[in-house]
Amino acid sequence: MYWSERLWVRVLRGRRGQPLGVLLLAIVLGVGLVPDIFGLGLVRLAGFDAYQRWAPRIRRSAPAIIVAIDEESLRRHGQWPWPRTWLARLVARLAEARPAAIGIDLVMPEADRLSPGRLPEFVPGMGKDLVHRLSSLPSNDVVLAQALSGRPVVLGVAGLERDVGRTGRALRQAPVRAFGGDPRLFALRFEGTLRSVEEVDREARGHGLLNVEPERGVVRRMPLVAGAADAVLPAFGVEMLRVATGAPVLTVRVGASGIEGVGINDLLIPTESDGSVRVRFARHDPSRFVSAADVLSGTAELHLFERKLVLIGVTALGLSDYQATPVAERMSGVEIHAQLLESIFDGDLLSRPRAAAWAEAGVLIAAGLLLVLAVPRLPARTSVALFVLVIGAMGAGGFLLYLHRGVLFDAALPSLGLGVLFTSVLVVTLAEAESQRRALRRSLEQQREQAARVAGELEAARRIQMSSLPQPTTAFPGDTPLDLYAFLEPAREVGGDLYDFFALDHDRVFFLIGDVSGKGLPGSLFMAVSKALYKSVALRQARPVEAVMREANAEISRENTGGLFVTMLAGILDTRTGLLEYCNAGHEPPYLLPSGARPLLRLMDGGGPPLCAVDCFPYAASSRRLEPGDTLCLVTDGVTEAVSPGAALYGRNRLEALLMQVGRAASASEVGDAIRREVERFTDGVEPSDDMAILVVRWKGPASATGR
Amino acid sequence: MDLRQKRYADTVVLSPVGRIDHSTSEGFKAALAPYMARCAVGLDRVLLDFVSVEYISSVGLRVLMLASKQAKTQGGSLGVAALQPAVKEIFDISRFTMVLDVFPSVREGLARLSPPALAAFDAG
Repeated sequence: MYWSERLWVRVLRGRRGQPLGVLLLAIVLGVGLVPDIFGLGLVRLAGFDAYQRWAPRIRRSAPAIIVAIDEESLRRHGQWPWPRTWLARLVARLAEARPAAIGIDLVMPEADRLSPGRLPEFVPGMGKDLVHRLSSLPSNDVVLAQALSGRPVVLGVAGLERDVGRTGRALRQAPVRAFGGDPRLFALRFEGTLRSVEEVDREARGHGLLNVEPERGVVRRMPLVAGAADAVLPAFGVEMLRVATGAPVLTVRVGASGIEGVGINDLLIPTESDGSVRVRFARHDPSRFVSAADVLSGTAELHLFERKLVLIGVTALGLSDYQATPVAERMSGVEIHAQLLESIFDGDLLSRPRAAAWAEAGVLIAAGLLLVLAVPRLPARTSVALFVLVIGAMGAGGFLLYLHRGVLFDAALPSLGLGVLFTSVLVVTLAEAESQRRALRRSLEQQREQAARVAGELEAARRIQMSSLPQPTTAFPGDTPLDLYAFLEPAREVGGDLYDFFALDHDRVFFLIGDVSGKGLPGSLFMAVSKALYKSVALRQARPVEAVMREANAEISRENTGGLFVTMLAGILDTRTGLLEYCNAGHEPPYLLPSGARPLLRLMDGGGPPLCAVDCFPYAASSRRLEPGDTLCLVTDGVTEAVSPGAALYGRNRLEALLMQVGRAASASEVGDAIRREVERFTDGVEPSDDMAILVVRWKGPASATGR
Repeated sequence: MDLRQKRYADTVVLSPVGRIDHSTSEGFKAALAPYMARCAVGLDRVLLDFVSVEYISSVGLRVLMLASKQAKTQGGSLGVAALQPAVKEIFDISRFTMVLDVFPSVREGLARLSPPALAAFDAG
């Protein structure tokens, strides 16, 4: 892995995914602002469609009614297209009901082949006379034109992608007047138009564009005006409204950024910049429809059509144009036109103001930052709840705006963006937590391993320290004039107490007990050095004990860089004569437990400060002649300062009482074990705070010495 | 550990309080250090007033030993005065009476360390 890659991964994942979150938020925002990148516009449209499916428009008024050329009509009157004379009858019949306007959702670009003059083409063998009479009858188109004449009828016009050469034939000057600019610069544009045959077309009072323009297969918006060739054409429904109100012209208001609205008399319908409106669809409603067959047969009640906008259109399934709308997979074109009229009439069009996009961006930034900041700090479950809450609030807000204001606020695309953001931040956060957990586990394992290693090393050190101490049975095997007991127990694995004993020559035995002013490893190291130096000094040449102490002080002081000191009691016992010479360097005074009736003695005299405390101190020795059976008892302060659970010190008095109780006939082991047991009973499980050493020396008398 | 401090002429009397053992000795050492730095020939003499010291362990004795060595190196004077019986016994057993000058009371300590300090003590 390269350092640079590591760096940016670290930067992005650092601080628990927050830099990554902010980066993602910027990307999401950028993607959201580009119109329809990666087909994401579909998500937005799907969101808007969902609003309409959940809450379609409620029909408040019914300005439009559809005369449907439906299955029933075809069943009764035969196949489509019908002769235009029937259409003429239909118009004439409807006109009796005095509708506001009649819109024919049809384009009839070719002459009717069912006109009487064309019958001989289908019926061969007609007599010349009959042929002549038929051709003298008015064509069906003329009949229809007569039916339209003088009536408020709007005919459909189809906008074409290409000019098929028919546009120029009947391009009437459309009754549209623009204010503020040329609407054709902004409006939907067709290269050509397809219109009905001239004689019919010119008799219609209005002409409206029939095209609905599906957006990704679904009709959501409808143009109110469109450019066709050089003219501006009104939409079919708008033209019906104009004809119905008797307005001479439609006005189109144009601003700097596009078309602003379409006006009929005093009514101004605000539009998008391309002159389209967003229809708020109601569900399909059969009550909008009246069958053409019923109108033709006279069974339909005519008052239904009075002052209404009547649309004539084909709904029979096999024939007609059906389009998908947000509320229905299939809705007939004529019903879509009717829906536009209802929407305009009820003032219930949807709008998507320019500010909506900025509001969406603002909400996205706010919610995004909230998630980026909060998710890494919250437990995963709370994070998910927060995310659901944020998305829910956005969706609810968008829906309420739609419901009460007809404003389209897109919650879907920001939600998708937030979803990506949330998932990424959560994954990084969880990964981060996991890796922290792993690191913690690793470091715990390492600590444990290290502790085990140290413990192992300390255990080895303890074995070395303990094995450096002589054992009475191996040091003086067999029957000796001395009865020895030695015990040492460090407070931790290793400690700073020491004892030693060895023979100087045939008769004289050297022994010592000491205490380094330190415990644990440092104490034990200094203890080892002191013990080794002391022994080497003592064995170097035969000297009195005080001389050994002085030289040991000099030598040990030289090795003492840690500023420690050692208390030390050293003695030389002549096992032949019982002469004891001893020198105390700041140690607990030894006890002499006499064999006879003499009292317990604490040997306070002789000596000086601890080794290393005062350079070149002139240590002095004391001497005493032991009686056979006398016992010397030496301890360190681990005994006298042993602590009970009640924080009491064991103390000198208890030790003295114990020694007197044990009795003068006791062996060294009996004395030593008694002290150990007593201290153990006294501390009662309290962790010892100090190292403890006991050395008991019992001189049996000169008689035994001869036995060696 | 806090050290109460009183100055008599060229002598500083420091009064530790409580136990000087493994848990307090480091604090005692640190508190003592600045005074020991000035405990030199021509500068200050230091007298430790142990009247409020209940106990001193070998770790505490070590601090005193190091202080005494420092004073000796710098040519300064360090003394301990007014030991409680328990502390006196520890000093006796460990022969620390041979490591430091030990005085029965602060006044006697001052008298031995510095006559001007004694004069200031008696005046104050």
